[in-house]
Amino acid sequence: MTLSLDWMIPLIPEEIVIIFALAALAVDFAIVRRMNPAVRWRVIGATACAGCVGAMIWIGRATNYGTSEMLALSPLTQFIKLALLGLALVVVVLSLDARFTRHTGEYYALLLLATAGLMLLISSENLLMIFIALEILSVPLYVLTAFDKTREASAEAALKYFLFGSVAAAFTLFGISLLYGMTGELGLGAIAAKLRTQPVEPVCYAALVMTLIGFAFKVAAAPFHFWAPDVYEGAPAPIACFVASASKVASFFVLAKIVIDGFGPIRGGAAWNDFRAGWMPVLAVLAVLSMAGGNIAALAQTSVKRLLAYSAIAHGGYALLAFFGNARQMLPALLFYVITYALTVLGALAVAGAVENSANGDRMAAWAGLGRRAPLLAVCMFIFMLSLAGIPPLAGFFGKFYLFTAAAAGQPHLGMLWLVIVAVGASAISLYYYLQVLKQIYAVPPPAGAMPLRASRAALFPIALLAALVIVFGCAPGWLLGRLSAVLNSSAF
Amino acid sequence: MSAPLTHYLILSALLFCIGFAGAVGRRSAILVLIGIELMLNAANLNFIAFWRYGPHPEALTGVMFVLFSIAIAAAEAAVGLALVIATYRQRRTTRMDQLDTLKG
Amino acid sequence: MLAWTILISFLGAAALVLLPAESRRAARHTALLTALAGLACALAGAVQYERSAASGTPVDLVNFSWIADLHIHFHLAADGVSITLVLLTGIAAVAGVLFSWNIERRTREFFALYLALIGSVYGVFLSFDLFLLFVFYELAIIPKYFLIAVWGSTRREYGAMKLALYSLVGSAMVLVGLIAAYVVSGAQTFDLTELAKYHFPAAFQHWAFPLVFVGFAILAGLWPFHTWAPTGHVAAPTAGSMLLAGVVMKLGAYGALRVAMTLFPEGLRAWQNEIALLAVIGIVYGATVALVQRDLKFVIGYSSVSHMGFVLLGLMTLSKIGLSGAVLQMFSHGIIAGLLFAVVGRMVYDRAHTRDLTELQPMNLSALAPFAAVTFVIAGAASMGLPGFSGFIAELQVLAGAWQVFPRLTLLAGVGILVGIAFMVRVWIKAFFAEGDIKASAIPIEPISMPERAGALVLLGTTVLIGLWPGLLLNLITPTLNSTLFQGMVKGGPQ
Repeated sequence: MTLSLDWMIPLIPEEIVIIFALAALAVDFAIVRRMNPAVRWRVIGATACAGCVGAMIWIGRATNYGTSEMLALSPLTQFIKLALLGLALVVVVLSLDARFTRHTGEYYALLLLATAGLMLLISSENLLMIFIALEILSVPLYVLTAFDKTREASAEAALKYFLFGSVAAAFTLFGISLLYGMTGELGLGAIAAKLRTQPVEPVCYAALVMTLIGFAFKVAAAPFHFWAPDVYEGAPAPIACFVASASKVASFFVLAKIVIDGFGPIRGGAAWNDFRAGWMPVLAVLAVLSMAGGNIAALAQTSVKRLLAYSAIAHGGYALLAFFGNARQMLPALLFYVITYALTVLGALAVAGAVENSANGDRMAAWAGLGRRAPLLAVCMFIFMLSLAGIPPLAGFFGKFYLFTAAAAGQPHLGMLWLVIVAVGASAISLYYYLQVLKQIYAVPPPAGAMPLRASRAALFPIALLAALVIVFGCAPGWLLGRLSAVLNSSAF
Repeated sequence: MSAPLTHYLILSALLFCIGFAGAVGRRSAILVLIGIELMLNAANLNFIAFWRYGPHPEALTGVMFVLFSIAIAAAEAAVGLALVIATYRQRRTTRMDQLDTLKG
Repeated sequence: MLAWTILISFLGAAALVLLPAESRRAARHTALLTALAGLACALAGAVQYERSAASGTPVDLVNFSWIADLHIHFHLAADGVSITLVLLTGIAAVAGVLFSWNIERRTREFFALYLALIGSVYGVFLSFDLFLLFVFYELAIIPKYFLIAVWGSTRREYGAMKLALYSLVGSAMVLVGLIAAYVVSGAQTFDLTELAKYHFPAAFQHWAFPLVFVGFAILAGLWPFHTWAPTGHVAAPTAGSMLLAGVVMKLGAYGALRVAMTLFPEGLRAWQNEIALLAVIGIVYGATVALVQRDLKFVIGYSSVSHMGFVLLGLMTLSKIGLSGAVLQMFSHGIIAGLLFAVVGRMVYDRAHTRDLTELQPMNLSALAPFAAVTFVIAGAASMGLPGFSGFIAELQVLAGAWQVFPRLTLLAGVGILVGIAFMVRVWIKAFFAEGDIKASAIPIEPISMPERAGALVLLGTTVLIGLWPGLLLNLITPTLNSTLFQGMVKGGPQ
């Protein structure tokens, strides 16, 4: 037996990220520990950037695709990894002027490890791999959430996040174990094959529901959303950005993979004229609860970060609509929506972070007159909020439109139109609270003696870039859609 | 090899329920943590039982999953305890109902 | 030519954003130039269309594939109905700028939002792709909200939010209907002319029509969904009320005609009587409530509900005379309501600082501001529907069309007209020609400025011109109603 390292080749991007995570630690310990914080954050941040960029370059160049029992590498997975690395890169840059911790090396190392978990999650084809990748993602995020030792809320949010997350993970693990018992398999494709051939026992449905709970937790679908507002508010701003954007994109993708590849045969039905057991009714219930609960709770918020968290729950509900689309449309609709949503919410939370730094809080009053105090930030927030509300010609509008069209067209006889109606109605109501924020920014005058708000370039540049992307993807969604259908057509999903 | 598969499954289901009851019912973060460990171990028991009674005990899938899951549970417990300590240092409490800075 | 109206307005808005914040004069002039350029394009486009051999069929302006995966095209086109409303928008835009000449606070932003609103309105009137139409329709919501929330008066935040939410709920209903229609027709096109050829199943039309129609008609002030209109009009700044009443309410009526009625003719016939009833209730209710209001702007706001009732009643007649009356009434009401709001909001309220009829009574405005009084009297006469003004021909046509289909309702609508005369006379007397005591009128009142005079003359001239020479517009409207697009709805209905 010769020692072969061939198995490492498909995972080179992940390995690059992990190596740079370790490099960030090493650089911190060996070189910059005693330098002043500004230099230290820059140097280590640059190391982390290099990791993300290096992995992106490698993915851009490599074309060795293939599928094994454990992993799949296809143009689609590589495209999503690129998107995730891009989001992670923005988070890395946004963290550059964070001063809430002295453990710079550990901070960036954990961030990169979580990113590696995300990338692994995208490629996983096997429930064991998915479970491991989920934990590689989650454990660093729990720690990162607690990183801001200057605030009590940070550790508290992390503890709640951890406890909810672990309970959800235990449910998923138990569901997987039942599934393993019923089918004897762990690979998604093999499970589907077994479910197709052998009679489906009631235990399978229990296993299905329990497995889905873990993902419902990850995408913050109601009623498994309780952690989200606390984490958005309590976690350091860049980490909240990461949880809201990259982690969500990956979780939705894996959820899609599991229900379509793994549970494809027990789809069931949630159409008004065709209600059958399976994952469709489960997701329909989650979607309705998330859209209704998220939007109603958001109406009452006074903290913009919590408002964004509840709106994120509602948006998770909208995104679930994609699962009722037909095979051709569901993935483009879902991915277009979650990617543009991730860009938008990342930007909005970054603005919230900048405001919070200068105004000592993100209550509505801290936003008064932002249009005067920081015109550029205000314009970007304007764009993000309207995109979240689904106002054309921004990305959020087209994303929702495509989702709703896909869901309405997915089942015969407009079967899912009832869910589309719920979604459209919920989204109309949501304008109310987005306008509340914009009203503070533009209609309410700044408090007397308020100073202009200066955000650092490390924050301004990514925020402006994200706002520009939100406009571009809204006015010309054809490019992203074209890329998505191209990679989908060349991947066997 | 005397007890049938269903006995193990019932035991694991019971363990899981007890763990879940502990996780949602107890106020102390440490006890919640213990509840979670029970739930994870219930799943592990399932894996072993299904593997042992399954049609292909020669394929070590179940055992492998359990090994990974134990390692992961250990990592989770470590992080969990660290978070409990971090919270305790700031708030002098580990009771979940007293952690109420964040709400709304 | 017509497509330039949209581009020019948005470019004007963008130019304003780039101006330095302090340059109020430059902002005003940019806005006026942009509005004038838009109007010039609209006029040139109308003349061009009239001279061409189009005779009522839509003429493509721009058409290219926008989002290929969903078969969405960026398709702008124009026919007689849309050109009529584009002309209205152009005139209202110019007048609105003239009546906002005194905005001193955040002038630049005001006009930028104003032009963005105008641009989206042009866009709705010229879109022949339903997705595009919907995009412009929703795009108009945000400028409306901020114009009212920042520059408005009485309960402005409430009024602005109410308007925004009503608009969005309406457009949500429209969106559901559009998506369903798109899916049912095979998900191949959003093009209006293509979809109008598709024969939707009757059962589908029966629920899709009221959904889409009411979704649009909320913005047209259809009773009982009209409540945003009075509060919104009252809260808005002068130019805001002028645009709301002048063109935004037309967006709703236009959408109802252009989308709901063209796509679902069978559903239309099934619901014809019910909607006509609501329209007549709106006519009578609006006029009656206007009769007892104390706030002058509320009077005009409720009168708008009443006048828009005529538009909806005209639409429901499904006859050529009724439909062309409805379109003409959209134009006419846009001009007259704009003028009334201009007098009330700018000439009266900005000077007397009150709109309360009992407080205005002792001021004897006819002596203090004769120009305002004369303008208001003429505008009021036009609003009553006296011969010689555009409203006369429009309402006459609507009533003539309605008489053939719903004689009893038409009688009721006639009662509405009488009440309309009554509330206008009441306002004349109370606000302008009451016996004033001199003490209260000792308030120094600045003279009516040149821009105001110019704006008032533009609007007055238009309503008189159309009143004396309705053929100008009817030559555009009538051939269009003969075109294939409207055949489905007129055919089978009483001629």
